[in-house]
Amino acid sequence: MSEPIYVGIDVGSSATKCVLLDGGGELVGHHVVPSGFDYAESADSALAHSLLQASASRADIASCVSTGYGRASISIADRQVTEISCHARGAREWYPQVRNIIDIGGQDTKIIRLTDEGKLADYRMNAKCAAGTGTFLESIALKLGVTLDQLDELAMKSREDTVMNSYCTVFTGTEVIERIKEGQAREDISMGLFRSIATRVSEMMSSRDGPVSATGGVAAHCRALIRALEEVLEAEVFLPPMPQHAGAYGAALIALESKQAGRSSADHVARG
Amino acid sequence: MVSTAVKRVEIEAQKQLRGLLREHFLDLDRAAHDTDRKVAWCTSVGPCEILTALGFEVYFPENHGALLGAKKISHRLIPRAVGLGYSAESCSYMTSDIGSTLADASPLKEAFGISGPPKPDLLIYSTNQCREVQDWWNFYGRRNGVPVMGVCPPTHLGEVTAEHVAFVRRMLVKLIEQIEVQFGLKLDRERLRDVVALSSRASALWRQVLDTARAHPSPITFFDGVIHMAPVILMRGSQKALDYYEGLLVELWDRIREGIGAVPSERFRVYWEGMPIWPKVRELSEKFYDLSTVVAASTYCNSWAFEDYDGTDPLAWMARISTEIFINRDEASKQAFLGELFDRFDIDGAIFHNARTCPNNTNSRFGMPQRIREEYNIPVLVVDGDLSDIRFFSAAQTMTNIEAFIEQLEDHAR
Repeated sequence: MSEPIYVGIDVGSSATKCVLLDGGGELVGHHVVPSGFDYAESADSALAHSLLQASASRADIASCVSTGYGRASISIADRQVTEISCHARGAREWYPQVRNIIDIGGQDTKIIRLTDEGKLADYRMNAKCAAGTGTFLESIALKLGVTLDQLDELAMKSREDTVMNSYCTVFTGTEVIERIKEGQAREDISMGLFRSIATRVSEMMSSRDGPVSATGGVAAHCRALIRALEEVLEAEVFLPPMPQHAGAYGAALIALESKQAGRSSADHVARG
Repeated sequence: MVSTAVKRVEIEAQKQLRGLLREHFLDLDRAAHDTDRKVAWCTSVGPCEILTALGFEVYFPENHGALLGAKKISHRLIPRAVGLGYSAESCSYMTSDIGSTLADASPLKEAFGISGPPKPDLLIYSTNQCREVQDWWNFYGRRNGVPVMGVCPPTHLGEVTAEHVAFVRRMLVKLIEQIEVQFGLKLDRERLRDVVALSSRASALWRQVLDTARAHPSPITFFDGVIHMAPVILMRGSQKALDYYEGLLVELWDRIREGIGAVPSERFRVYWEGMPIWPKVRELSEKFYDLSTVVAASTYCNSWAFEDYDGTDPLAWMARISTEIFINRDEASKQAFLGELFDRFDIDGAIFHNARTCPNNTNSRFGMPQRIREEYNIPVLVVDGDLSDIRFFSAAQTMTNIEAFIEQLEDHAR
């Protein structure tokens, strides 16, 4: 009989991530695809690629937990767990001492605070507004005719302490035009955008005590975000090895722990 | 997500409530078309007993605002009011109600075959809940050419003192004089005493209804409460409200004896602070049901649970109950009230609704949830939304927030 595989699938608004663990909790496969129109199809594709990487088959799947906005679309999932619990679980596996997790995704930003025991103490999600999310950056980058990676590259070259006065995606777009007219350097304007997100994030934190980790797609792709967060929070921000996969990793850990505990309801954040 | 296998047992009294509401609105419509009868509009915790005692039929526009939200049509009506200069960020009960009048669209037409809300002869407000009601009523005053009168109790009070009560009582006396002069009426003080006694008894029965949720499992949820509270708002001061709640109580006590829970596999008990999200009441009810969680108590449903009338001065009772309501109090009084209810209903966690167009009935904007979490050591969640305007609500975010909240409660229970 093949090694049992534990699957975590995180269907986000922009990307679908899959992580596979073996029975010892070792990461044996992972993949990310755009979520697109069909969440089930994207999840299937991410799973197929991950299984290939792990030299495993669907028959080896012992348990699967789905998370993210499209979590209900995953028919093979034994259980759905929110991305809040999953990101917390994943980040905590990488950094056991972490107390604040900043997850910046395409559609929303989540601030998750853990207790000293690693339990969920508090969490906040952005309101019905793109301020402080990946969509904010993507929208402005599109307006400026650059990719998100190029925006990040430009920002990392900035040497000025430029701050945007708006959080709103629309008004920031207008402000960027004003700054261009004023002759501000594109590098500084770009960094100002990341500072805008970092400032918005700082407002959502109920406490800044304890180590901070950043997860999610924006943290994975944008070094300037980490730089801005560290500036605003005046603290080191830990970037895990696979920030975009933190939710899927947490989901896979919950799947593994549930199976090991022989329970239908998965444990999550408290278990390490 | 945990799905309950046991089927929900509906509250039987709801069928009777439908008939009661039907008769209530049909009679209001008849009154509006009868030149011998007068209709007064009144705010929901306004001085309606005076109006009833003076012979007016009383209509409560806030109930119509809630109905427009529950029927999911507010967002189509609000732009009509915004076009007239009423901010889209001001009370969505007000903007949707004004919009419904401008569009001549009311769910009352379809539900009861009537011409819509009854035309007012008089508009009476109390600003004990918010100042917006003045602007709302003034719109209808101008539109219908009828008088608008009201009382403005002191607000944000800590202790409600005898001086406060005396001050509001004087406003009520003045109001009575204004109405008497305007309509050539004379208030029968004995009649007022009887109406107040009925109001107080209806309120006491309503409090008993809410108290049944102390049972484990609770026979009733917040989502039942927002339906069954209709008589204590619309018909208080009448025997009909008493009869209804006496019947409902018998049924709820039976449910407790038989162990019938509103959420059969009740695992957690949470508190709802703030306004209902009317367009999503059903979806939220189902979400909590699926999560085996009962919303056992709320500030909103308690807004009509007044202290008992002692049979002495009816105007003093009216002055006191309308001044000491939760929404009219300072932060410390509100926090103490919430703490009492957390204990009384054995609450595991509290959800605060940040109603975007209702700052006065939103208590999450000045750090109260954080203070509550520290003081009572319970998980607290703030959800963004609105009482009526669905455009402020994100289903995916809210449902994820609620699911994560239950995961947090599971975590705490371990």
